[in-house]
Amino acid sequence: MGRLRRSRVHKGIRDIKRKYRTKRYMRDLDQIHDDIKPENASKFEKQELDPELPGQGQFYCISCAKHHINIESLQEHMRGKIHKKRVKLLKEEPYTQAEADAAAGLQPADTKAKKAKAAMMDVTETESSSTTTTA
Amino acid sequence: MRLEKCYFCSSTCYPGHGTMFVRNDSKTFRFCRSKCHKNFKMKRNPRKVRWTKAFRKAAGKEMTIDSTFQFEKRRNIPVRYDRDLMATTIKAMKRSLEIKAKRERVFYKNRMSGNKLRQKTENQVLVQKHIHLVDTPAIKNLAQTQKVAQKAKLMDVDMS
Repeated sequence: MGRLRRSRVHKGIRDIKRKYRTKRYMRDLDQIHDDIKPENASKFEKQELDPELPGQGQFYCISCAKHHINIESLQEHMRGKIHKKRVKLLKEEPYTQAEADAAAGLQPADTKAKKAKAAMMDVTETESSSTTTTA
Repeated sequence: MRLEKCYFCSSTCYPGHGTMFVRNDSKTFRFCRSKCHKNFKMKRNPRKVRWTKAFRKAAGKEMTIDSTFQFEKRRNIPVRYDRDLMATTIKAMKRSLEIKAKRERVFYKNRMSGNKLRQKTENQVLVQKHIHLVDTPAIKNLAQTQKVAQKAKLMDVDMS
């Protein structure tokens, strides 16, 4: 028996390929970032009974975006490494397209800038008019 | 024609190239190539992937704060075509790019400035740590010569 190949052998792993398809797309970190805000979290904590979800949708971990079958399972999950890692990740600020643009050296759109300029023009006009009135 | 920036690597997405992903909350993500799309699907954070622009800026590898970044903007307000304006704009673009390149060179130089000295000290430490591995006649003889010198000294003391 010759030498067995050890590198470049991860190409055909079906499960991983399936995991990263967008067919069953899980919630993204920036979405979850909004979910965990107190004003949105209440909606996820008290969900209506849904027979199609695991545990009828009553045992939901917001930060991992995952339904559990019962309270024990949820508590077990909360104690675990995966959950704690996710909580830590969520403390960071989410990445946005704006950051990507900024990294490329692209400034935000100029729509607001013009409004500000227009406002400034108005101010100067009023000022000039006021000065004329005073004079 | 609008040139978008890639969500993942911040390079330019030219028309007819790359992919756009629309999430179920109708947010759109543009990718310049399948590499970026795949990395996005793996839920990687571009800030932590070393080959992206976002990483390089966040980690201080590239110039971030500079006045030359003020010019490139998404212009939502159309400007009426004016021949003179066009000419001056192109001239200004060339000049600003020149200045930017110059400043980037300076930034790189500053970033790399301490490297030579650090490398040198590191090398010296490495050599001193593993001096016993060095197998050259000069070092082998060093001990011998020292011994001889010591003996000679002793002899001198005896003689006197």
